[in-house]
Amino acid sequence: MSSQELKIVFTGPMGAGKTTAIRAISDAPPVSTEVGNHDQKTFAKESTTVALDYGEVSLENGTSLRLYGTPGQGRFSFMWEIIGRGALGVVLLLDASSATALKDLDTFVTTFRRTTPDQAFVVGVGRLPPEHGSRLDDFSRALAATGVVAPVFAVDVREREDVLLLIETLLCILETQMPEAEYASA
Amino acid sequence: MHPPDARFGTEVAGRAQAHLEELGATNKGISLAVLTSEDGFEIAAYRGAETSGRIAAMSSSLQALSEAISREAGLASSQGLIIESENGKIIVLGVASTAPRVSLAVVAGLNETLGTLLWAARNCCKSLEQALRK
Repeated sequence: MSSQELKIVFTGPMGAGKTTAIRAISDAPPVSTEVGNHDQKTFAKESTTVALDYGEVSLENGTSLRLYGTPGQGRFSFMWEIIGRGALGVVLLLDASSATALKDLDTFVTTFRRTTPDQAFVVGVGRLPPEHGSRLDDFSRALAATGVVAPVFAVDVREREDVLLLIETLLCILETQMPEAEYASA
Repeated sequence: MHPPDARFGTEVAGRAQAHLEELGATNKGISLAVLTSEDGFEIAAYRGAETSGRIAAMSSSLQALSEAISREAGLASSQGLIIESENGKIIVLGVASTAPRVSLAVVAGLNETLGTLLWAARNCCKSLEQALRK
């Protein structure tokens, strides 16, 4: 694989760990648009992203990744489309402890598929219970129901290795999906 | 979308609404003014319409981006931004020292000059700051 620069999007609902994931792997401190969260009923955390996160990571093979994170709340869905444009791959992060996790999967997959049908997908599910095999299968089934074929992983986005696994899987998918010349010039 | 006053209380929303009405009454070219919490919720709106909730969320994103690019460029904290389009202009200004942090988005047609609009919006922000002070 030759040296190249690729745009990857991290998306998913509020509290799924998009900002944390980008922070875990970015070579330099990411650009952040976090502000105070005044919607504690939806998710009890202090801050929330309202525009985007932006980080960069250089892989050993010379590939440079530009990492964009979206806001999670539906009222910022206009940013999903703006940020999604031109991205070759999408990392969808989900929170298994959320009652709306499977619905969230459908919402984000449907939105990104509608705006950019050819994007490669990989799904990372966090906050799974200790014996999570069957729970992870629920996400695989829900994903299959959307018609999207993509790997689903249990992840802890605070762990750099977990996030890099998602990225490397995405790059493998891209490599198999695209003709070599097109991939190299992307 | 939550109603404008549901999250921040009717008293805060009422005080903010009065200042937005005054801004609109003295500047006839203003077609919309929205006061928005830093995380994108509409608190009050002058000539609020179906789109005001969406404009509110967008203005909070823009304000956050203007602050991020100011930081990245090594400048002091962003006070706001100006968007000039073919048919009018939009100003988004941060309102200092309020809890929650808020921003004001003002939309106006071509008949309102940029200088007048900016002056009026900044004065409105000062009034809002007094009214919503922490």
